[in-house]
Amino acid sequence: MAANWFSAPAPVARRVRGYFAPVNRATQTPVLFDPAEQGGFSLDAPPAPWIDLGWIQGFARKPASKTSLVLAGIPAGTLEQVRETLEAQVNFEFLSWTKLTMALATGSQHMNLLAPASGAAPAADGAQAAPAVTPQSGSTATFVALAATDAATFSAGSIIAVDVDYTGQTGFVGSPVAGAYVRQALTDVDYIRRVTFNVGLVSQLNSTGLTLAEPLPGGAPAAAAKLQAVTGFVDREGGSFYQEWSALFVIQGSQGERIFFHYPRLQARAGAEETAVPLDSKHQEGQARVLLKGQFLALPVIDPLDGEHVLCYRSFLPAPMALV
Amino acid sequence: MQNAKDSLYMALRTRLTTINPQRTILLRGTVRPGILVEEAEAPFNQLPNDVFVLRWLGLAIDLDLASTMAAEECEIVYQSCGTQSCGGLDRGRSLSKMDEELLAMIQPFFTPKLDYTATPPAAMLTQVFWDEPQLGPVVVQRDQLSRSAKVMVYSYQEQGE
Repeated sequence: MAANWFSAPAPVARRVRGYFAPVNRATQTPVLFDPAEQGGFSLDAPPAPWIDLGWIQGFARKPASKTSLVLAGIPAGTLEQVRETLEAQVNFEFLSWTKLTMALATGSQHMNLLAPASGAAPAADGAQAAPAVTPQSGSTATFVALAATDAATFSAGSIIAVDVDYTGQTGFVGSPVAGAYVRQALTDVDYIRRVTFNVGLVSQLNSTGLTLAEPLPGGAPAAAAKLQAVTGFVDREGGSFYQEWSALFVIQGSQGERIFFHYPRLQARAGAEETAVPLDSKHQEGQARVLLKGQFLALPVIDPLDGEHVLCYRSFLPAPMALV
Repeated sequence: MQNAKDSLYMALRTRLTTINPQRTILLRGTVRPGILVEEAEAPFNQLPNDVFVLRWLGLAIDLDLASTMAAEECEIVYQSCGTQSCGGLDRGRSLSKMDEELLAMIQPFFTPKLDYTATPPAAMLTQVFWDEPQLGPVVVQRDQLSRSAKVMVYSYQEQGE
């Protein structure tokens, strides 16, 4: 009788897929991934609230925790080891430029370039914006209902930012992801829409509103939300804000096995940096793909299982019928 | 390795019937999907046009693993003279169409390994997997354009293989 198991060699994989989910900065709550419960998810449809960032390149983990020796005796011999510091780094390159990948790969806050008001004075991170418009009732995550005159100010291909007016509050701002930390009250009523992650692409429109290519990350617009057109994105070298996200990296092996690297808290550890990769290796000076370089520092969480401080969880789901 | 070879061929054939059901060949009196294994047919004087032909080349074995891994290179050759209705002026378009079909057929880069000597075919324990195809240049021979794509196909040897 043929054996119904096999000895699986080390996993063989072609690439790594990345998923990120926002840490609730106000409550300092990361998003947890349970490989036992969620490990079988379709790579194209991650469980909420994880956001698929696609395949990544050059994924490299670097443990940087330091240990020291406790010595005893003459001559001294190692009695035991103690973990002195806890540190881990993750580096990789994003294969696309989007609002989210840019934000993740920058060391500071990431902003939307709001469409400027007519005749506004130039500013490095976007001039005074054209006035925001108010969504009407009946809006959903993929359709923003507008008055006909407001809808006419947009066109298919417009990018929009949807969030509330800034009214002088301090602390973390932006929904559903904290886009910035305001230390002292500002005067720009559009500031939250400048930093919000609640953006989308208009795929078509009519006199009743805008249809979006993908759902807004924050779902249907909140009651007090307004929207403005976005012309692009900007980030700065400098500043004091650190992005913080929960991250999940998946390696799918050739036999269906899966390796997960789950970092509950990941912060950018360096400023924005790009890598140029020539499209044709024989023509180094020719066309090159510009990749966003992500360099991250893992921060610890306390595992409620036993109270240990943890930077990363590595899980392995073996291939079906593989010996363990 | 034969099970892996059979599994790759059947996977590509099944995918081709979805990608382009019109690509067929009349072979030994039967209309079949337009893909065949050269070594499993009578020798050809000339390869048929507008059909994918699989040709098996080199073999390498890694014995140092928990399960022996075999790697065999598969060359997929295809050619076209275009259509009569266009006087062959669409031969470039025809070859581009076959390029697109090949790239669609080859993904995903794995398929379950089956034993096709059994009836019905018996599912085995592992999967056959392969790399991206290495596409060769177009070869022009009078009114005929052809291309060859090479794919390295891997599989683990199971008990009884």
